Amino acid sequence: MEKLNILADAAKYDVSCSSSGSSRGGNAKGIGNTVSAGLCHSFAADGRCISLLKILFTNECIFDCRYCMNRRSNDVPRASFTPDEVCALTMEFYRRNYIEGLFLSSGILYSPDYTMELICQTLYKLRNIHHFNGYIHVKAIPGADPALIHKAGFLADRMSVNLELPTAESLKQLAPNKNRKSILKPMRQIQNTISANKEELTLYRHTPRFCEAGQSTQMIIGATPESDYQIMSVAENLYQKFSLKRVYYSAFVNVNEDKALPALPGGPPLLREHRLYQADWLLRFYGFKVDELLTDDRPNFNMRIDPKADWAVRHLELFPIEINRADYRLLLRVPGIGVRSAKRIIGARRFGNLNFNDLKKMGVVLKRALYFITCSGKMMYPTKIEEDYIVRNLTDDKERLKFTNDGMRYEQLSLFS
Amino acid sequence: MEEKYLVCEDSIEGVFTGIYEAYALREGHEHIHIQIGEEGNLRLFATYINIEPDAVKTAKVAQTLRKRLGDEVYLYICRALAAQDRMKGEAVYKTVVNGLSKGGGRRVMENLADTHVERTFELARSAANEALRYIEIVRFKESGEGILFSKIAPKCNVIPFIMPHFADRLSVENFIIFDDMRKIYGVHPALKDWYMVSDSDNSVYDMFGESDKENEYQELFTAFCKTIAIKERINPKLQQQMLPLRFREYMVEFDKK
Ligand code: SF4
Repeated sequence: MEKLNILADAAKYDVSCSSSGSSRGGNAKGIGNTVSAGLCHSFAADGRCISLLKILFTNECIFDCRYCMNRRSNDVPRASFTPDEVCALTMEFYRRNYIEGLFLSSGILYSPDYTMELICQTLYKLRNIHHFNGYIHVKAIPGADPALIHKAGFLADRMSVNLELPTAESLKQLAPNKNRKSILKPMRQIQNTISANKEELTLYRHTPRFCEAGQSTQMIIGATPESDYQIMSVAENLYQKFSLKRVYYSAFVNVNEDKALPALPGGPPLLREHRLYQADWLLRFYGFKVDELLTDDRPNFNMRIDPKADWAVRHLELFPIEINRADYRLLLRVPGIGVRSAKRIIGARRFGNLNFNDLKKMGVVLKRALYFITCSGKMMYPTKIEEDYIVRNLTDDKERLKFTNDGMRYEQLSLFS
Repeated sequence: MEEKYLVCEDSIEGVFTGIYEAYALREGHEHIHIQIGEEGNLRLFATYINIEPDAVKTAKVAQTLRKRLGDEVYLYICRALAAQDRMKGEAVYKTVVNGLSKGGGRRVMENLADTHVERTFELARSAANEALRYIEIVRFKESGEGILFSKIAPKCNVIPFIMPHFADRLSVENFIIFDDMRKIYGVHPALKDWYMVSDSDNSVYDMFGESDKENEYQELFTAFCKTIAIKERINPKLQQQMLPLRFREYMVEFDKK
C-alpha cells in the first residue's frame, strides 16, 4: 500500500491519462479490449480524469532534473515495484473496472538500460502470462538501448518520450542529464517503427502491432520563459514531423521550491495550460495553423477569450457567413460551432433551410455564434459588429473562475507583460 | 377528427407493437399517438386503446425498420426507447413515420429540424451517454467464488447496451450487473453468451459475499485516487462537473468518504 502511494504520487505530474487511439476486441484467452475513443473511469479531486493505473516503476533516479520531485538530490521516500506487483495491481484493478489499463513510467534505476529492461519484463509478463489485452502506455527512457525500446513498443499501445521543455536551452538549464538529442532520437525511432509496422500490416494482417495508439509527448509550461507561440510551434512541428498523436501541456508545479525556477505564487498557470489545449485542438481538428493564431507581435494567447474566438474577432471581415451555404471548413471557424454541430448542420440542411432555432437544437451555442452567422440572410438580431464589444460578450467569467484561484491574476499578468 | 391514443407498455416490445397497430389502423398518422403507460388526465373526445405487447408484431416492425431505415437508425430508436421519458413512444413513432412514409429513409436522423426526430435524437443521445458513463463507472466486486458482481442505478435502461462491452472485455470472467432501479440482471457466464433476467427483488444480488482480497483492492484503489490528485490543482467543482454526485453511489473509491 505504501509503495503504491509513493509510486502513484511520483507519477501524478505526468498528464497524459488518455486511453484512446486503440481499438481491439477481446479474445477468448485473456482479459481486455481497447476502445478507440478512450474511457475515463473516475475523476480525482483535482478534476482530472483517472483512466489508467498511472505509476512509476521506481522513483529512484540517477538524474537530477530540477523540476522533478524524484531527482537524485531530493530526500524523498523511495520505492520500487517488482514486475509481478505491477501485474497483480493492473489485473485486479482492471477486472474490477477501475481502470482502462496501465501507464508505466519510471525514474532511472542504475542505468537507462537496466530500467527499460525491467519495464519490458513487466509488459511481457502482463501480455503473455496474464494475457492482459487492455491498454498499456509506456514511457521510453531516454538513453535506453534502441532494441529495448523496440521490444517495449510491440508490447504497448502507446509510447511516449517527454520533451519536458520546449527549447534545447531550457532543457540544458533544468535537466542537466538530458539533452534534446537523447529525447528526439527515441522519438524518431518510434515514429519510424510505427510507419514501417503500418506498411507491414497492410501486407501481412497478423503481424504484431507496434504502438497501435501511436506516440505522445509532454511539455512543462511556465517553468521557463518560452512564449505560447514558441510552444505551439514546437507542438505543430511534432505533429507534422514526428507524427505524434498527442502533445500534452503540463502547468508547472514547483514541487522542489528550486531557486532556478519561478515561484508562481498564484498557483500553476492553469488557464494558460487550458488555452494551449484549446489551440492544440484547433490544430488537430479545426484546420488551423499556428501562424494564424499567434505571431511574433502577439506571441501569447488572449487570456480573456479562447483562441478560436480570438481569431474570429480579429477577422471580422470574413463574417458573417451564411449557415445554409458555407462549407464545412468555414463553419468550423465560427465560435460556438464545434465539429459535431458543423457536421449536423451539413446533414440537416439537405432537408431544407435552417433557422436559428434549428441551430440551437443541433448544439450550436448561439450566444457565441450570433455575431458571425446569418440564416437565410438574416442575423439573429441586429447587433454591433465591433471587436471590443464582441470580445466583452464572448468573455467567459466562469472559465476564469474554473482555472484560477483569484480571478485577478491574469489581468495583472497581461497588464505587466 | 378524433384523436386516438395507443397506450403501450414501457419497453421496445410495447412501442413496436404500438407502431404496428398504428399502421394497421390505416387512417394516416396525424391523429394517432403513442402513449406510454396510463396517464392521469384522460382527454375528452379522445379514444384510448390498450396495446398488449406482441412478440410477432414486434419482430415484424424490427425487421422493417432495419431493412428500410438501416441499422444505424434502428440503434437510435432502440436507444431512445431505453431513455427515461414519457414522450419517447410518440417521438419514436413519428420518427418512424417520417422515415418510412415521408421519405426520410436512412437519413431520417439527420432531419433535426423535425421536432420528433430531434426528440428521438436527444433521447438516444442521453441513453447512449449514460450507457457510456456506466461502462466507465461500473465497479465490480469479487465474490468468494471469484464471480464479479456489480450494482447500478441508472436513469435509462443501460444494461442491454453495456453488456456487450463487458462481455467482450471480460470474456473469461463470470460476472453479473444488477440494475437496482428495474431489478434486471445482465448475466455473463465465462466464455458464453450473456443474457438478461429480471427479478422482483434484490435477493439474488444479496447472495453475493465479498472475497478476502476484495477489501484490500478497494482500499488500494481508493488510496490511488486520492494520491493521484495534484494538491495545487484541487478543484471539487470541476470534479463534480466531470462526475456528478448521483453516479458516485456505487463507486468504491467514493464509498468510504
Ligand atoms: S529522469 Fe529527471 S524527470 Fe525523470 S525521474 Fe529522473 S529526475 Fe525525474
